[in-house]
Amino acid sequence: MIGLILFIAIMGFTLRRSGLTWPERFVNDAFGTAQGALYRPVGAVAGFFRDLGRLSDVYKENEELRRTVARYTQDQIRYNDIENDNRRYKEELGFTDRQKQLYSYKYAIAQVIASGSNPYDKTIKIDRGSRDGVKPRMAVVTIDGLVGLVSQVSEFTSTVMPITELDSTSSDTILISATVSGKEQQVFGIVDYDKENGVMRMSKIDENANVAEGDIVVTSGQGNLLPKGLVIGTVLSNQVGDFGLTHTATIAPAAKFDHLYEVFVVMTPDPDKP
Amino acid sequence: MTKLRMNRAVVAALILLLIQTSVVPWLIPTAWGGRLLLHLPFIMTIFVALLGGRHRAFSFGLGFGLLEDLLFYGHMIGAYAFGMALLGYLIGLAFERRLNTLAYVLLLTGIGSGLLDMLAYFVYKLFSLTHLGAAFVFYWQVLPTLLLHMLVALALYLPARRFLVKHIASAAEEAEGA
Repeated sequence: MIGLILFIAIMGFTLRRSGLTWPERFVNDAFGTAQGALYRPVGAVAGFFRDLGRLSDVYKENEELRRTVARYTQDQIRYNDIENDNRRYKEELGFTDRQKQLYSYKYAIAQVIASGSNPYDKTIKIDRGSRDGVKPRMAVVTIDGLVGLVSQVSEFTSTVMPITELDSTSSDTILISATVSGKEQQVFGIVDYDKENGVMRMSKIDENANVAEGDIVVTSGQGNLLPKGLVIGTVLSNQVGDFGLTHTATIAPAAKFDHLYEVFVVMTPDPDKP
Repeated sequence: MTKLRMNRAVVAALILLLIQTSVVPWLIPTAWGGRLLLHLPFIMTIFVALLGGRHRAFSFGLGFGLLEDLLFYGHMIGAYAFGMALLGYLIGLAFERRLNTLAYVLLLTGIGSGLLDMLAYFVYKLFSLTHLGAAFVFYWQVLPTLLLHMLVALALYLPARRFLVKHIASAAEEAEGA
């Protein structure tokens, strides 16, 4: 009985805490080293066999990539042009240095070293920690899209909570504000994950906003939690939400959440620095 | 009866935990990623309960449950430490009452695994961190994991026994078997 009370107390105490004490950090780092030594080679072997299975698709994929590259080069020219214009406007309008630096993100590459097997606390570990400048609540992405948020940081490793753990009704949730790529001015919504159906939901969309199937949902950067423009997924459908006043869209997540190998930690410039 | 090599059990469980966190995720197909969640230290706890008694199993489960919670600290610490300590003790109690055949070990592994996962579910439900229905959780995650745990326990039973039990005792048992 005393044990039960003690455990409830521990669980309650650790529920909303951020930051780790030194024994926790030590255990994390010590295990992280061994896990990293194991996870990478095994992943390489598993990846090799998966690649063998996909060999037949390579030709088709190559064709597609070539077409994409052609389109990309055209876009690049336009992008450079717009970028130059944009910089000139910022100069003319007298933007401060801080405002100019606001959207220049640094992507730090990190290796995944382990993944947990607790079904209600799905976490993965990466081999970057506070030494590398990782801070809690930084966004973690793959080349496909947003994967999760850093939840705990120790010296050499940190724990990442995937966005599949975000539950809008949960007691310690983090809400992601999102928008649709290309319609940033008119669409706004809040994204969470529907575990039973395995899709993401974007709720509280204005009923006049035009969200169509196939639109790409990105983070809006409002609320200053996540950087702007990280891909979350593509819209599957859009229907009237719970109270009839707003719309709710279902979204297929862009990133895969298992068999992760390399991820990027998005480091935002520190707004408090001069 | 206490012929268990505790230090060997701890080392084995540490290695198994490393394998569980770093190797097993690669072996499970993507579609089953959220459904088969192996807990190898829990299987070791059952073996400790079988060979070393309930008090050792209690502290063993407590230690490794806490380690697992600590390593993958998402929302909170303690759910698996609590569950594994409690079930280690209960399973140890069950082993003391009856004949310890392999089938009985497997049966208890299955029941224990199911109880552990449901216990963890109810703890998270209590703190309103999850909103899934109990029936869905049982069908989606607990049942496949339970069957996998029984298979792994079957595979590990003989090696673990040979590795954990002191040499004199195991030689006697081999003579008995032959």
